[in-house]
Amino acid sequence: MNLNPFWSMSTNTGRKRSDCEEQSGEQQQQRASPARPSFGKKQLPSIPKNAVPITKPASPAATAQLANGTHASYGPFYLEYSLLAEFTLVIKQKLPGIYVQPSYKSALMWFGVIFIRHGLYQDGVFKFTVYIPDNYPDGECPRVVFDIPVFHPLVDPVSGELDVRRAFTKWSSVPHGLFLQLDSDTALRNHNHIWQVLMYARTVFYKINTMEPLNPEAAVLYDKDVQLFKSKVIDSVKLCNSHLFDQPKMDDPYAISFSSWNPAIHDEAKERMFSHKRRPEDHHKGLQVSGLSWVKPGSTQPFSKDDNPPLS
Amino acid sequence: MSWLSRLTPRGPGGRSSRNVASSSPCTADPETCLMVFENHWRQLSWVLEQQEPSGCSDDLTAVRNHTDQMLCLLAEERPGEVGEGPPGTLTSGNVPPVGPILGLVVTENVLERVVQWHLRRGLDPDSQGALLKLFEMLIGQSQQPLLQHKAVLQPLLGLLGACAEPQLGCPPSLENSLVLLLNQICVSMARAPAVLELLFRSAPAQHGPTNLLIFSLLVPFIHRDGAIGQQARDALLLVMATSASNQGVARYIAENSYFCPVLATGLSALYSSLPRKIEVRGDDWHALRREDWMGVSSLVLFMNSLEFCNAVIQVAHPLVRSQLVDYVHNGFLVPVMGPALHKSSVDEMIASTAYLDLFLRSVTETALLKTFLRFILMHRHDNDTILDTLLTRVSSNSRLCMVSLSLFRTLLSLNCEDLMLQLVLRYLLPCTHVMLSQRRAVRDTDLYGKSADKFLSLIPECCRLSVLPSAEREEEPAFWGKVLNSPSSESPVHPKPSTPSRLALFMRQQSTALPFTPSPTETVPSSPRGGPSTPLSPDSPMHPVPEGLDWESGYLEYLRDARRGVELCSWACRNWSAPYDGEDPSPNTAPLPPPPPTSNPSLAMFPEHFSFQQGGGGGGGGSTSPGQQRAAVVAAARSEWSSTERDRGEWDVTIGKNNCTISLTPRTKKRSLQREEVPLPKPLHLPPDSTSASVPDPSAAPHLPSGPSIDPHQAIFNGTSSGSQVDGCPDSRDGGMEVKKVKRDLDEQQQHGDSSQNVAVGASPTPVPTPAQSCGPLQGLHREGNGSVTGENSRRLTSHVQSHTQDQPAPWTPASCANSSNVNLTPQVSGSGPPEAMLSTQSEAVERLISELLDGAGPGEGGQQGPGDSNGQGISIEAFTQELRELEERVRERSRGVGLLRQLEETTRDPDSEEPLPPSPLDADLTGTGAGVEPKAVGLFSPSRPLGQPSAQPYTGPFMVVLFAKLENMLQNSLYVNILLTGILCQLACYPQPLLRSFLLNTNMVFQPSVKSLIQVLGSVKNRIEVFAASHEDFPGMLRKAQRYLVARGKVDWADSSPMGVPTLRRSDSLVKSRKPSLGDLIMRHTNSPTRARHAAQLALAHVRDGGQSLHSALFRGGTGGGASGLEKQVEALRVKNAVYCAVIFSEFLKELAALAQEHAVSMPFLQSHDTEE
Repeated sequence: MNLNPFWSMSTNTGRKRSDCEEQSGEQQQQRASPARPSFGKKQLPSIPKNAVPITKPASPAATAQLANGTHASYGPFYLEYSLLAEFTLVIKQKLPGIYVQPSYKSALMWFGVIFIRHGLYQDGVFKFTVYIPDNYPDGECPRVVFDIPVFHPLVDPVSGELDVRRAFTKWSSVPHGLFLQLDSDTALRNHNHIWQVLMYARTVFYKINTMEPLNPEAAVLYDKDVQLFKSKVIDSVKLCNSHLFDQPKMDDPYAISFSSWNPAIHDEAKERMFSHKRRPEDHHKGLQVSGLSWVKPGSTQPFSKDDNPPLS
Repeated sequence: MSWLSRLTPRGPGGRSSRNVASSSPCTADPETCLMVFENHWRQLSWVLEQQEPSGCSDDLTAVRNHTDQMLCLLAEERPGEVGEGPPGTLTSGNVPPVGPILGLVVTENVLERVVQWHLRRGLDPDSQGALLKLFEMLIGQSQQPLLQHKAVLQPLLGLLGACAEPQLGCPPSLENSLVLLLNQICVSMARAPAVLELLFRSAPAQHGPTNLLIFSLLVPFIHRDGAIGQQARDALLLVMATSASNQGVARYIAENSYFCPVLATGLSALYSSLPRKIEVRGDDWHALRREDWMGVSSLVLFMNSLEFCNAVIQVAHPLVRSQLVDYVHNGFLVPVMGPALHKSSVDEMIASTAYLDLFLRSVTETALLKTFLRFILMHRHDNDTILDTLLTRVSSNSRLCMVSLSLFRTLLSLNCEDLMLQLVLRYLLPCTHVMLSQRRAVRDTDLYGKSADKFLSLIPECCRLSVLPSAEREEEPAFWGKVLNSPSSESPVHPKPSTPSRLALFMRQQSTALPFTPSPTETVPSSPRGGPSTPLSPDSPMHPVPEGLDWESGYLEYLRDARRGVELCSWACRNWSAPYDGEDPSPNTAPLPPPPPTSNPSLAMFPEHFSFQQGGGGGGGGSTSPGQQRAAVVAAARSEWSSTERDRGEWDVTIGKNNCTISLTPRTKKRSLQREEVPLPKPLHLPPDSTSASVPDPSAAPHLPSGPSIDPHQAIFNGTSSGSQVDGCPDSRDGGMEVKKVKRDLDEQQQHGDSSQNVAVGASPTPVPTPAQSCGPLQGLHREGNGSVTGENSRRLTSHVQSHTQDQPAPWTPASCANSSNVNLTPQVSGSGPPEAMLSTQSEAVERLISELLDGAGPGEGGQQGPGDSNGQGISIEAFTQELRELEERVRERSRGVGLLRQLEETTRDPDSEEPLPPSPLDADLTGTGAGVEPKAVGLFSPSRPLGQPSAQPYTGPFMVVLFAKLENMLQNSLYVNILLTGILCQLACYPQPLLRSFLLNTNMVFQPSVKSLIQVLGSVKNRIEVFAASHEDFPGMLRKAQRYLVARGKVDWADSSPMGVPTLRRSDSLVKSRKPSLGDLIMRHTNSPTRARHAAQLALAHVRDGGQSLHSALFRGGTGGGASGLEKQVEALRVKNAVYCAVIFSEFLKELAALAQEHAVSMPFLQSHDTEE
């Protein structure tokens, strides 16, 4: 029941890998994408050579800023940076088995894929898209739509949309009790965040909830006939996995697409992935950024470390 | 390894032209050569075997001729009997077969016999020199390795041993040859490290303890000037590198040689010859750049030695490294640098601070850097750390402030945890500055741009010129979806459709290099890699389109800048011991930081540091009170302007609104854009009865906000008036900025000046002199003595050096120093002057000695040139006479100064001026406007700090306090202070540690009421700017002009930035550099030739500076009439100028802060480096 080891997922950037998944059979590869030698960076991806930037009108948020006159020109920066910050938080959370990638065309649309490691949906690989309302962060909670409607009580059998709203009844309010703060580093007391939505999308496959289902059939089966439910799930997983290599639903340079393992491409990319050390963008050697420290951990006294620091 | 790589071209190959010996039939085939050689040898050996070496010159000539010929043949011989291809020359390891001539030399022991013959005969300098040259030629040019052969090595060592012998020695005329030979030996040795072992082993039998002869011969030349010094240092460095893995040699160097002490304490001697006063070229000068010091020979000398230290530490064995580092600390930093930083005169403070800054920028080795930092952070000079002292200087109101800020910028750029801990973090660690409920918010980032928005909203309305067009222009950047393309996406390939980078302010535009180009469409590279330029809004004056365009856009540039700053900083901090996020280290276990100076008089910010000089040897047996010393500073400052510049025409007069400074600046200098401000520290609020040592000295710390307020006077002030002045910043400095006030200030100033003078002269009750103080001068003297002696050592290592230098690792107790210095100094002192017991005389003698030594060290051998430019003032000694002289001077200057002030006052007196001001300083303070700023600052920072209970209040540390106080006073600061100041705050805001980040950038954070937040300070500055703008009709015009001027000026700043990372008055100089490669290359390419470099710089920048200058003066010239009206206009003009520049800088600063807040939210932490180390 393992994943096909020859699968590979290719996406351009913005990947975070959780520690636990490295041992699993998935082989993710970074396609040698144009001009993106590094990944795992915080910044949004750059535009491939051949792609033409699509200019959209400023978002409502920005226009609102414009309307009230002051520092109008900064409005777009706020939206972009909020989304960038959300994306950074996602990376920092290291959500197991979840990968997202903002689309090229709009920062408000993120492509994602989720790997289910165990449980009823084990070995499922579900692609999805996150739609963020353009009045973010003041709007409703983001929508999560699976490319192929997974057989699941909370997934709409037609549209593939996951019922997210139930978990975030009031977006930007106090987080749902379901979600513990994994990493208090992000200090999320007062706001919901997109990583929580992703977390929720994952949890749904491990803890089945049949209340007020979007797919009543699945809910009923789960409650009444688990065996049948299970077999339906297996069918659904198979179906999803069989479409894994399909062209991405969206025509977007940053859409996540899978291809079979090609050593010529993927071996090298894999190598790079594991050996990559992130450095500042324009860090060059001569720079005096040695990060000097002689403080012994746990101490707050300067020069408390022993005299033979492993520094340089 | 730059040093080492530099050495390689100096290999033997390049030397062949210098063939010493006459031409010889060396092109012949090997057999012929051998025959010729044998022939020579037969004749030579006949001469050598003469039993009694007559003084016959015929013999000598014969021997020389033969030797020349033979050695030449030997040098030309190729290894291996058969001439099989190009011989593998000196590949160590596989020893090529020995050539026949060399074989003969070995078997017959030719060289040994020749040398012995010379030695028996008595070596006259002539033959000594000839032998040195011969050996040098031989070793340098030989085609086969020679030093491995005992038959070569032994005679060589014999010759060198002769050079080391005291009775023979090496005459100065032969020093060049000697060093050259040694250099050659070291080069060969570096190629064949086994030779080192041979050298090390083979000598002891003959030469006792100095068994690494080449080494001990080289050491005296370490600090030499010119080529000889360089060769010696190169050679030593080769020894160091070769011996890096040789424990025995390393131990020998560390334990049996004087290398480390000579090197380190030589720095002291060299330091003492540095100019005490730095001749300042421009109003913006604040740090020593390479081109500044390349022309100063004493500084070049010092820097050579310092760089050498650095290089040694880089390559040497750990044993040597750690010893050298210790010596640098105990033999240079503590005894010399420490007192130098505490000199009493402002000039010397400026100089020493600038030197320290330069040194820090030059040192690259971690171990050496650590020593410097440890010195700055931990060493206590008297009671205060060097850091404390430096902090107090920031609050001064002069170039001293700029130099100090520059030093702090250098320090901050090191990203050193220990430093940041001491400077800021330890005060924030307990988290007492935030409300308890807010502690968790410490880690919040500006996720939704709220803080950024807040910062941007503080841009004064009056500075938002023509917002409308800029909003239209925003459509231009390609939005990424609704979102801008990532500012720092790094693909160099595709055109980056970013916002046109029109940050004209800090000259981010190449096009503005010609500020007055009529070109209507200037372009600018939108990316460092020179992507396609976007059309720029016209920036030239010829183009009458709204200029505000440039100022509202360009935010992307700030984001890019901020990203880079945050990223580099967090990368640099990745190895810190803790995240400093409010939990780790735990606020509860964090040791309480030192309380504010209020409760700790020893930390009192400014007054104290003048008293340091007591330790450094200033005070005569503790008889100088702080008051006196303060007065000395006043006098020094006064004498500066009154004596040097007084009679020279026009003056710029700045009278701080805050009643703290008067700057009189001559208008005669053409070059400076804004005149050099000569600070006139003015004792201000010093009540006549305040004599305690902890009374803040307003003359020195004019804007000192957190000044020690134990002073009852200040406390009263806080209590009474803080209420009205805490927040709203009731800007009474509106239109009513009249001469009347100026006059009033003057009046007060004079009075206060008088009172403080009285205090000072009247020898106020001194605090109990500490032991350090009482033995200060003595100690200082002896330190100096040591320095000088080592200076002498470095010239010729004499036997008493050891006894002397071995004291050095030990603490510099007066006793031990006294011993050593007496021992060593006596001969010289008595030689150069009557051996009086007077300390002063002796110290002067020491001084003179040092300078003589150093002068003599030059190749020119200008022996007895007296104190010269480094004239009689002791570097760390100020003896009684000096003290007395200063006292007298002070009194004289005081009267002169007062007279001048009176004059000034009269000229500025308004016809309608009212009654004289109340004499009481207290009243003066409370009367408001004139004295407003400083007290207000005090009030702001300690509004509710009552007299008795100081430490209960959270305290964010002196650094933050002084920076905020300076910032609050932005409107009055000079342009350059503001640029430096905001730059430092931005640097601080780059740090990713949540404690610091939240303190500076989280505008939603709720602090304890007594803690001033950055946003509050900025708010008050904003108000002041708006009030100012409202009172000046032509403000928009002036603002535009100021912006344009800054653009022009930015070019200069940028171009000045040098590859050493020398600071410019630019914040993001690196960014600038990356964006402007061409002009920088133009200049920097010439760095090898200092004069050419300077010339190029002048050529390249002359027009810019001139342009800027003329524009600038046209803008802000306040009228040129003489007399009263002229003066007052100038005062007003300066005030306006500062304010307008401030408005420009302020707006840009806010954008920077906003960008930083945003970038922090999207930055990713870096992994620690021990698992990711390259």
